[in-house]
Amino acid sequence: MPKHQIVDPTQERKPGKLEFPEVPLNAYDGTIADELKNLGKDALLGMLEDMLLIREFENMLNEIKTAGVYEGVEYDHKGPAHLSMGQEASSVGQAFHLTVDDHIFGSHRSHGEILAKGMSAIRKLDDKSLLAIMKEFMGGECLSIVESNIKTSSVKDLGRQFLVYGALAEIFGRKPGFNRGLGGSMHAFFTPFGIYPNNAIVGGSADIATGAALFKKINRKPGIVIGNIGDASMGCGPVWEAINFAAMSQFTTLWEDEMKGGLPIIMNFMNNFYGMGGQTSTETMAYDVLARMGAGVNSDAMHAERVDGYNPLAVADAIKRKRAIIEKGEGPVLLDTLTYRYSGHSPSDASSYRGKDEMDLWHNVDSIEWFSGELQEAGAIDNNGLETIKRDIVSVTASACRLAADDAISPRIQASFIEDVMFSNKQRDSYDESREPELLEVGANNPRIKLLKKRSRAGIVDGKPAPKNKVIQFRDAIFEAVLHRFKEDPTLVAYGEENRDWGGAFACYRGLTEALPYHRLFNSPISEAAIVGTAVGYALEGGRVLAELMYCDFMGRAGDEIFNQMSKWQSMSAGVLEMPLVLRVSVGSKYGAQHSQDWTALCNHIPGLKICFPATPYDAKGMLNTALRGSDPVIFFESQRLYDIGELFEPEVPEGYYEVPFGPPAKRRDGSDITIITIGATLYRALQATDILEQKHGLKADVWDCRSINPLDYEPLVESVKKTGRLLLASDACERGSVMQSIAQNLSQMAFDALDAPPVVVGSRNWITPCAEMEDSFFPQPEWILDAIHEQILPLPSHLVTSNQTTGEAVRRARMGV
Amino acid sequence: MATAIMMPRQGQSVESCVLVDWLVSRGDEVKEGQVLANIETDKAVFELESPAAGTIVDLFFEEGDDIPVLINIGAIGSQGEDVDDLRPDPTTLAAAQTETQTTEAPSSSALPAPSSGATAPPAAGGGGGISPRARNAAARGGVNVNTLAGTGPGGRIIERDVLNAAANMPHMNRAAAEAASQGMTAPAQGSGPGGMVLARDLKAPAEGAVGKPLSGIRKLIAGRMHQSLATTAQLTLHMSFNATAIMTCRAHVKEKGKSLGLPNITINDILAYNTVKTLVEFPEMNAHFLGNRIAQYPDVNMGIATDTERGLMVPVVHGANNLSLAEFSVKAKQILKDAQAASINPDLLSGGTFTITNMGMLGIEKFTPILNAPEVGILGVGCPHLQPVMRDGEVTHIQAITLSLTIDHQAVDGAPGARFLKELCMALETFELTTGG
Repeated sequence: MPKHQIVDPTQERKPGKLEFPEVPLNAYDGTIADELKNLGKDALLGMLEDMLLIREFENMLNEIKTAGVYEGVEYDHKGPAHLSMGQEASSVGQAFHLTVDDHIFGSHRSHGEILAKGMSAIRKLDDKSLLAIMKEFMGGECLSIVESNIKTSSVKDLGRQFLVYGALAEIFGRKPGFNRGLGGSMHAFFTPFGIYPNNAIVGGSADIATGAALFKKINRKPGIVIGNIGDASMGCGPVWEAINFAAMSQFTTLWEDEMKGGLPIIMNFMNNFYGMGGQTSTETMAYDVLARMGAGVNSDAMHAERVDGYNPLAVADAIKRKRAIIEKGEGPVLLDTLTYRYSGHSPSDASSYRGKDEMDLWHNVDSIEWFSGELQEAGAIDNNGLETIKRDIVSVTASACRLAADDAISPRIQASFIEDVMFSNKQRDSYDESREPELLEVGANNPRIKLLKKRSRAGIVDGKPAPKNKVIQFRDAIFEAVLHRFKEDPTLVAYGEENRDWGGAFACYRGLTEALPYHRLFNSPISEAAIVGTAVGYALEGGRVLAELMYCDFMGRAGDEIFNQMSKWQSMSAGVLEMPLVLRVSVGSKYGAQHSQDWTALCNHIPGLKICFPATPYDAKGMLNTALRGSDPVIFFESQRLYDIGELFEPEVPEGYYEVPFGPPAKRRDGSDITIITIGATLYRALQATDILEQKHGLKADVWDCRSINPLDYEPLVESVKKTGRLLLASDACERGSVMQSIAQNLSQMAFDALDAPPVVVGSRNWITPCAEMEDSFFPQPEWILDAIHEQILPLPSHLVTSNQTTGEAVRRARMGV
Repeated sequence: MATAIMMPRQGQSVESCVLVDWLVSRGDEVKEGQVLANIETDKAVFELESPAAGTIVDLFFEEGDDIPVLINIGAIGSQGEDVDDLRPDPTTLAAAQTETQTTEAPSSSALPAPSSGATAPPAAGGGGGISPRARNAAARGGVNVNTLAGTGPGGRIIERDVLNAAANMPHMNRAAAEAASQGMTAPAQGSGPGGMVLARDLKAPAEGAVGKPLSGIRKLIAGRMHQSLATTAQLTLHMSFNATAIMTCRAHVKEKGKSLGLPNITINDILAYNTVKTLVEFPEMNAHFLGNRIAQYPDVNMGIATDTERGLMVPVVHGANNLSLAEFSVKAKQILKDAQAASINPDLLSGGTFTITNMGMLGIEKFTPILNAPEVGILGVGCPHLQPVMRDGEVTHIQAITLSLTIDHQAVDGAPGARFLKELCMALETFELTTGG
């Protein structure tokens, strides 16, 4: 919400009509003769070779999947194989002009793109660089298998054999595969050749590729990014969010100086006309022609075109032209690359949704047949030459298949390795030490810093909690941690809704607008999927990113991005990628059913995420410092109930840098009669209950703040339960399936013999959150905690219950599903 | 509309009853008043009569279940009627079933909702189970958990119950403690250093012994006796008295009682009745020792220990000090008969302030009765025997009976105990039927 851009009613209310730019369809009119002249014979023959290689590679997988044997090698491949026979020209044409610095992201059907981009890189890299890449990759393991088993004629030939074997070993789930077999067919990639993650979620690469383009732009990296997604993904919300994000006006209106200009990305739809069994243009989608969609996005219609993906030269031409547009700062670009798959969605698909007539029509114009025919006609190659190429390719794929199918040569990774790559656990002050961070006013003249100077760092002054407007609050602690990392790491960017100018809906970022240029702190559209998805792309390209979701309840909108992308790429890459992405998530109250939920349990259920929920300013700053210096994805929960509190447990919130580690819970009270564990803001209500327990019943509670949810160090909790024998857990999350239930179960197991009563969870009711005035009937109250102790753990003399915490009631609620 | 078959409340002090056997099955036609089942409290067996005529639609419990009172245990109605509304709530069931593992749980999907609120009072005998922590503490401290009453939710035995019991236990080494927790008996003083009880001090069953699980009443007696010895300081005093007077009275009653309109007053009645009268003079003996205070009672509720087929029982004559000898005799006979028949009102099996126990008919001359804690005194009565006495310079023999008075030295010292016993002996030696009128 920049104030200098006026929304003027006289302009907005003017009559008129919108004009759309023309969207060209299959406009390429070059000939083989032209291109032989422009690109040279070798280049065109190289294209043909690559198309034949892809066709044979996919044919091999089809044989393995359907017959269990290829060229005499028997193998049972249990996993998926989404084949791209028929689509070869689209990927080879695309890769032709790309360099190693250009990054492609793909889909579940991207074997062809991997091989095409890989061959393009091999052709462009000099022998020395190529050899160095192969030797360095995973300690040269993949290379040495190829070298010691297959005779090759040159470094380039070795490179091709390395590419085919590495990709196939990955598809077969083998240790020497590009991702140690942890990615597999749908996720294989090889970043040294500019092949970035392929994605098993339809459209999953759209926002990730956008984030990668954001990284290239902000960090001034060479190259462009191509998001290869399917035509059916145009029906996915996050794809739309990504397209809009990539085309945001602010890149040209607000970003300063050389940062001005659109994102360097081609959103390329590999349009094979089917999404599973649904025919897109005539059945499941509204667009008629996919390229039309660009016209709805911005005034450039995203420079959209339909390109004939059955002609590799047309595609190569389009990429060349679009790259020029992007380099002028006029991206992003939308391409509708038409193509056709001969196979079903997968080998198990009988293609019952399309007829032989249609398939014959496409076979009649088969790109390989046509292209090789044209080249023969032009005298670039004769039949013998063609047959030699084909035999050579079969020997490459057969060799790769023999090695990849052999358990002795290509073993599986030890399962325990997966544990090692779930997190990267690095500590990095900066992701680019060669650069100074770009900053504006971060000194004493920054208004926020000036304000905080006047505030007390201690929350307790003269034995009493100091007035809220005189202490360093929780939100100030967040600000200090964020600013610190901005000053250390030039790659750090922060965005989310209303992060700039407004300073965040809860004022954590007030003062950052003055401290940072636009390209390091900006407002995102209300596109939670794109906020998280682009952050994933930014991080896996090697940049640190701090993204924000204004309310925890909005996580549902970013479900795939959090649960499948942010959490999984470190491990699916076998540790090749790091994911320095911190996602701040604010947990609300008072705003009813869709603005008051604590979804820590959803995140905790998903492997690969670190999760914390600090409840004090000291921990907020210390844990955010830890998160922002790490290399792992962190969901950083904050409670809106706590933004204005001062520090009540530590002597003060230190002005300097310090870290609070993930893992250990924090002890807030010492006692030996009962252990109480809380998450988030519930701590303060539990402490009220603790006071009553002590004053009325002479019982002292050992109170633990479970600020780190994953990882979690159980040892102090087990010791506490061994001491007290009694355990109550409370959080504001709905009780059913909450994190507290998990912890209760684990502690039951770890300290069973020490228990004097079953662990009892006091959570919010399994209801919608009612209006603010009724919240005390929904969120755990101090009285509920006492009632639960009385009913389930230790009868409290003369205690009068105000809520029903009996077993019978729990059974009734469960039976009712409430 | 179906009628519930409810577990009746057999007296104020009863929390639960064991369902001994069903005499009917699902689908049987029953008449109102027909006996449906036998049920047992820890003190007596009762017949449960049908509250209505109709078909037995469902029985919610199995034989052997320990069922809280006032809970529905079955339903009578018409064939096929839906009786889910009458099913008891599951928490109660859970508590009832911890003791009897063999019972199948009734279908939980059909259980009605419990409504609320307050925790049930602690059930005796740990009906609510035992926490792992309490079980460990019991193993460490050598506490036999079968003797404990839980004070946790639903009567669960929790750590504090064990610690309280352990505070009254002899000092044991680890091996002894473990053995003791498995039910072996520990002496108050052991053979280890400083009187520590060692494993070898524990009494183990001999090899070849036949294992026999304890019945409910046996368990209860075991617990009470053990607790008595573990929590009181018992001192037994013996004194004989010349029984000529009371034997004369007894002969008189036998001969002329009917014609005088007297009931069949026995030696026992006379002994007990005189004890009642003497207790009125010695209120400190008619008392309960309650740890931090002593409760003296204005009325004497005289417990009379009696051997029944099911084991030792102590029916009580309430307000015995307000009765004539004849009235006392009638009442005592009635409760003893009821106790033998196991049909006694459970309320008459509790509330005693003093107990008398007679082993004379078994030829025992004197013994050391165990206090019926928290009562502070119990009087044992031996068999009449000839005792030489010096009279006018010559040795002659009289019929004597030896009384054995056990007192809780925590509450009563030896001297007042002795004075009480002496006063009682004098009263008995000078007893005349008319004085007891």
